[in-house]
Amino acid sequence: MFEPTEQGKDVFTHGGVVLRGANTREDDAQSTGTLNIVEYSYGKCIEWKPVEVSVVSENQDQDPEWSLVDSHTRRTRTSSEGPDSLGRARTVRIMLTDLKSFRVHHGGQQLILMQKDGTTYVAFFQLSNAENFVNSMKAFMKLKRSRVDKNFYHVMDEFNPVLENSFSHLDLFQENTSDYVWKFVRNLHNRPYETTLEAFSKLADIWLYKEPVKRPVEEAVADLLNRSLTIDVPHPPVSVSSGEEYEVIGDAGSSVVLPPRPPCPRGAPLSQEQWDRFKDPEGRVTNPKAVREIIFRGGICASLRFEVWKFLLNYYPWNSTTAERIELRKKKTDEYFMMKLQWRSMTPAQENRFSDYRDRKSLIEKDVNRTDRTRVYYAGDNNPHLAQLYDILMTYVMYNFDLGYVQGMSDLLSPILCLMDSEVDAFWCFVGFMNKVSTNFEMDQAGMKAQLCQLNALLSVTEPQLFNYLYKNDSGNMFFCFRWLLVLFKREFNSIDIMKLWEILWTDLPCKNFHLLVCAAILDTEKTMLMENRYGFTEILKHINDLSLHIELPWTLSKAEGIYHQLMAVESQLPDSVRVIIGLEPLNKTPASDLEDESACAGAHANGENSNGIRRDSDKSENVKFGNNEVSYERGLSVSYI
Amino acid sequence: MAANNSVQTTTPRGSSLPNRNSQRSTLLKVVILGDGGVGKSCLMNRFVSNHFDEHSFHTIGVEFLNKDIEINGEAYTLQIWDTAGQERFKTLRTPFYRGSDICLLTYAVDDRASFRNLALWRSEFLYYADVEEGSTFPFIVVGNKVDVPESEKQVPTEEARAWCAENGDPPLVETSAKDATNVEAAFGAAVAAWARLEAKLDRPLIEDTVDLSKQQSPHRSSCCMPGTESNKVI
Repeated sequence: MFEPTEQGKDVFTHGGVVLRGANTREDDAQSTGTLNIVEYSYGKCIEWKPVEVSVVSENQDQDPEWSLVDSHTRRTRTSSEGPDSLGRARTVRIMLTDLKSFRVHHGGQQLILMQKDGTTYVAFFQLSNAENFVNSMKAFMKLKRSRVDKNFYHVMDEFNPVLENSFSHLDLFQENTSDYVWKFVRNLHNRPYETTLEAFSKLADIWLYKEPVKRPVEEAVADLLNRSLTIDVPHPPVSVSSGEEYEVIGDAGSSVVLPPRPPCPRGAPLSQEQWDRFKDPEGRVTNPKAVREIIFRGGICASLRFEVWKFLLNYYPWNSTTAERIELRKKKTDEYFMMKLQWRSMTPAQENRFSDYRDRKSLIEKDVNRTDRTRVYYAGDNNPHLAQLYDILMTYVMYNFDLGYVQGMSDLLSPILCLMDSEVDAFWCFVGFMNKVSTNFEMDQAGMKAQLCQLNALLSVTEPQLFNYLYKNDSGNMFFCFRWLLVLFKREFNSIDIMKLWEILWTDLPCKNFHLLVCAAILDTEKTMLMENRYGFTEILKHINDLSLHIELPWTLSKAEGIYHQLMAVESQLPDSVRVIIGLEPLNKTPASDLEDESACAGAHANGENSNGIRRDSDKSENVKFGNNEVSYERGLSVSYI
Repeated sequence: MAANNSVQTTTPRGSSLPNRNSQRSTLLKVVILGDGGVGKSCLMNRFVSNHFDEHSFHTIGVEFLNKDIEINGEAYTLQIWDTAGQERFKTLRTPFYRGSDICLLTYAVDDRASFRNLALWRSEFLYYADVEEGSTFPFIVVGNKVDVPESEKQVPTEEARAWCAENGDPPLVETSAKDATNVEAAFGAAVAAWARLEAKLDRPLIEDTVDLSKQQSPHRSSCCMPGTESNKVI
């Protein structure tokens, strides 16, 4: 974002807009402002300005809709530039020349603005919708509507170098030219209108889907990252032919064709009444499976979470009686305080000679002060809950010294402590959570690498187009999903949604690794934007980072479940590498000896499960069929391109 | 009650941005390194959006922001990369060093350990960025959190200066992301240091009329890289 040094002229303004971006804090998100188009000598830009709280819009007698204004028209007073002493919301500016595309969302209630560098802002129109704003933008820039998504608009760059190129360089026809011409003539005869349009749209596609400029630094970074992740970038499953540059290629490489995605409606949260019915007179939960199913479909009602999480996180056994749980809690309380005493009684002299301990302690101190401080529960100086957060993490270091403390753990603990509001209960629930995800935090990052690899394998079946696109744009390593996976989406959702998402993931329904299907669902939502914007490695990373707090949970969950049903419908055709992800037995079409290799994905033992669906067959030629469906796919996933 | 509401602007810094639309600006990749909690993300956010968040999160993975600035009449776009500092994530952090034009080595003046680790960060950077000659790479040393009371300051300025003198003599800037002290100055000094080194190399500019984004930068080279883009013209 730039800061202007001159007065701009407002050419359009509209009130009642909330703007959120990656740099917008959660509490800022509530401030309403005006969205304007402002003209400066060096170009126009979109500006969002927060409205000062004390000043109510004086325009109430006027049409609240957009109105064409000049710089003298009255408008709500805005706060001054930059942060004030209270750190309130700031003006946000996007040069129109930096705008890549935008998408109208939620029946016009939301407008997603995407910059060329991948930065994303979301404008929420509270008084009306984005229609007038979009119309006004049309007056100032050339737009092209996406063919795939009618709510998605590309901003056409006026000075596009591609247009200056001669058409001969554009490799217009991917087929043999004479074939193409004959086909064109034949089609022109049969259906002249459609054929002409088709030809024109192809020209537009060249414009839209042109290759991004090659960026050697990005390629080098991606290459090194691939090596760090020891995931070998998969080969594109389709042999690359010329002319492919502009074509969003089909899924010819994947032999598995998924059926249409079934709708999966969400349900109501587990209620107190249901919960009580599931318990026998002694307090045992009689049908944990049924409980889990309700939770998977709708989560847990807020007042009950406190109790049910202890079961989901294996602190309390489902078949324990109320009396047994009282006893267990006593035992666990003693155990906790015993471990706590171990570090509390460490003398400064001991500490001096114990650098591993010291490092962990210092990092916990720093991170506790940087965890969810905008949440009321942790807000303010000397908040006692920060001390509890610290004590639990320190005690966990003693509980599992080999793992110790790794950044990200405080994120996982924070919602648990907030809910339990008890140091001991929060600790043991946290232990249960860590038991599920501890491989994320291992020294060699093997768990993370395995998951990124699994996600890649999954995408090759669920989103072959995107899979190909990512491969071609240095992003086949899936690094841009790192934060999602490390802290199970903690940074991507608000405090209420994250509790719902976690309890759903803890049910292990409908299959294991459902969180990877959630990733696939989010990427399904974003794929048009990633591909049509022609985002490369850095922009993809930026776009995904900027999704934080913009992801819609219920929709994502039903989509993820839908993907599960799609996979199950073609279950027998799935390659073993995908079967094991969703908990199916591998079909063992793979020679066992191939598993020994030091291949990247073979390290995919996330949560201790062996994924033996990977094999090395890359030395075979690209088009050889191996007699079963998974071959062409396996080639795509091949692990031995070192 | 209706206020006059022409666009409010900040006080002009230097000249306006003349080069936004038509002209080139040089893209520089900047990496901020340093121990956890020294304020890397805060420095970046203060510089890019002039905003300080007392309660910001620690960084997970990598993040970056772009910022257009003008130094000595030249337009630059800084692409600033911010990474997680914990050792555990080293293998996922270091690939991003490749192709950097500028490196900010940061410590907090109230955290002696973070100052002691500067040398480690410097050598980690040199190793993974695959920089040929460390002494000619534009490092800049940033001592953040100078807003703390004098009594809490653990790293005297003189000591930091001495460290710099022994380590290739990079510029030292003491900053506060919290009260905005010297943050722009630090990035400005970094770009100036880059420009000085670039000028010293005194090489003719390779005019590649086909693809301006592929100009080579000579003081960073490596055997396996297809090229760097310190002069990338966007």
